[in-house]
Amino acid sequence: MKLQLIMALLVAKIAMYLSKLSGQGRGSSLPGMLALRIYPDLLKQYQGQPRKGVIMITGTNGKTTTSNMLSDILVYAGHRVVTNREGANLITGVATAFIKASTFTARLNCDYAVLEVDEAAFPGVTRWIKPNQVMVTNFFRDQLDRYGELDITISKVLDALKQLPEDVKLILNADDPLVARLTRETGQAAIFYGVRPDEALSSAAAYSREAKVCPFCGGMLVYNIYIYSQLGDFRCPQCGFARSQPDIEAVGVTSGGSGTQATICAKGLAKGIWPMYIPVQGIYNIYNGLAAFAAALSLGVIPEKAALSLSTFTPATGRMEAFRYGNKQVTLTLVKNPTGFNQALTALLAQRERQDILIAINDNDADGRDISWLWDVDFEVLTQYLEQFNRFICSGQRAEDMALRLKYAGVPIERLTMEREYQRAVEAALQGEGAVANILATYTALWPVEKILRQRAERVSIGANRVPSVS
Amino acid sequence: MVLTVCHLYPDLLNLYGDRGNVQAFTQRCRWRGLPVQVKEVNLGQPVEFADYDFLFIGGGSDREQALLVTDLKNRVDALRMAVDKGLVVLAICGGYQLLGRYYRTPQGKRIPGLSLLDFYTEAGEQRLIGNVVIEAELAGKKTKIVGFENHGGKTFLNGLKPLGCVLSGHGNNGQDGWEGARYKNVFCSYLHGPLLPKNPVLTDYLITLALARKGYAAQLVALDDEIETIANQAMVERLSNKK
Ligand SMILES: [Zn+2]
Repeated sequence: MKLQLIMALLVAKIAMYLSKLSGQGRGSSLPGMLALRIYPDLLKQYQGQPRKGVIMITGTNGKTTTSNMLSDILVYAGHRVVTNREGANLITGVATAFIKASTFTARLNCDYAVLEVDEAAFPGVTRWIKPNQVMVTNFFRDQLDRYGELDITISKVLDALKQLPEDVKLILNADDPLVARLTRETGQAAIFYGVRPDEALSSAAAYSREAKVCPFCGGMLVYNIYIYSQLGDFRCPQCGFARSQPDIEAVGVTSGGSGTQATICAKGLAKGIWPMYIPVQGIYNIYNGLAAFAAALSLGVIPEKAALSLSTFTPATGRMEAFRYGNKQVTLTLVKNPTGFNQALTALLAQRERQDILIAINDNDADGRDISWLWDVDFEVLTQYLEQFNRFICSGQRAEDMALRLKYAGVPIERLTMEREYQRAVEAALQGEGAVANILATYTALWPVEKILRQRAERVSIGANRVPSVS
Repeated sequence: MVLTVCHLYPDLLNLYGDRGNVQAFTQRCRWRGLPVQVKEVNLGQPVEFADYDFLFIGGGSDREQALLVTDLKNRVDALRMAVDKGLVVLAICGGYQLLGRYYRTPQGKRIPGLSLLDFYTEAGEQRLIGNVVIEAELAGKKTKIVGFENHGGKTFLNGLKPLGCVLSGHGNNGQDGWEGARYKNVFCSYLHGPLLPKNPVLTDYLITLALARKGYAAQLVALDDEIETIANQAMVERLSNKK
């Protein structure tokens, strides 16, 4: 049996080496898949090996960013960390991360494992690897045809949590009723993070809110303030379920071209106030930063160190990844569900320069085969600022559907271009008259588009000119 | 003259971009200079069905659907009367199932529907999911309608007229080759995508019916449907190549 294990690891490591040679290695879960086929109990070998603990990050949006932020902080604080950095978050991706860091006899030498885990894969992964901490970012509708409805996804995560040892610690988004409910339902202790309800952050868009109904009594939830989607200051008038006061709270959040900042107030874990700066745009990144910060504090990292690490954060592929083409600023963003797409649109509107937009939509399994979610995205906001936009280039397997969506949102037909070929679509965006080009792509369109961009443009870090000196 | 659209329970029934159906209907009115307005009616709010020209009911999750059967039960007589007088209705997915006689759960329990139309739905073993092309006859002309289906229930029509026959995909139950249902000016379908934007022939037919009921029997002005046509044909071609 031991021989089979070594075989499995050998095959996986050869696959890793080969894919590295061919330059296709990033985000791959193939080595893990091969190893699991040869040795299905593989993950069990790694259980208990990280010396200080295992942290899993699940939820719909922000998993990759949050998990990268946390592992960066832990590395910065001097720990050895195993992580699935490029968002390969199924059981095969988790296996790949462990195999990569381990010897041929599955020995690990690390303090922590920081693992991003897909919601649907969470029960399967936690069967083998017991996390000490579980962070849940949020629950939004995502790729419905793969998982059935959102309720089913949540109950899968909930059931898996209930199977974990009692001393597991949850790190939960206080502002999402669908997440905040988890501590009461599992009886497990939780650290809450959230954004202080502030009129200035309140969004009017009522589209694609998930939690209109109280998870406990079925009554309708009432909101003082919506931050975005169903996140906000909620309360159930019928049974009293309400947002709980967060242990870690962000105050005075502002977001612009150079990044996002806020002040963090901590109560439970450590008392104090710290400035937070993250060199990526969008309020949702404050949530990601807060989650990572909360987890780091609960693991004993000094708050100042955590904040400093966050201020030098470099986003992963397609998480507002920045490029430069001549004088043109080019941003690549992954879009996969209405909430994330709405956030990306808000970031576009915050840029005042005239811009060309490229949207590449695919409908492979990894993108979600059903693209009707595009109609839950609030593209109508773009038409209020049409003078800001030069051309809308629609690409990918569902280029026509994207163009149709924009047409019904009110974008004039003459500004719409359909170009299924990525190469020509990217070229059109780069050659556009706008000073800025923004590229949005679904999962399987992201990699080919990024590859073309890397050939044609230079990758830059948005926060490069703002990184504070580390003394 | 103003066409008035009622979007029923948009707060609860908004799965799968259903909002797009209301948008397609209203945009195609506006592009022709036809005045149109939308009223959103939510749980517990009063509604006079007779005042509307087009009623849209979308799909929701089981939890949400259970909530509103009770609410709609109180209004069903008024709705039935309006339907008999030619109210144009589009009901999608969960909204479709709601209009039938009952839904039978896997445990054999019958959850009564509104019995507006004489069909019934039974829980199937597997969800029926995927892209669909059907052929429907609208105003005497055959047209290909495309969309995406994702439903656990299998619907049987009891002799009711279907919306069309399935060319590719599952349709009502994956067995008899029919998709959707029609009764007077009520159109039911499992197809979202959403349905109306990519099927402008159907959308315009609904607008024509709504106008006719108001006493305006005019021919609709033709619109530039290039993108709609390309999007529709791309899916028809993709699915016919698959075979
Ligand atoms: Zn309640």
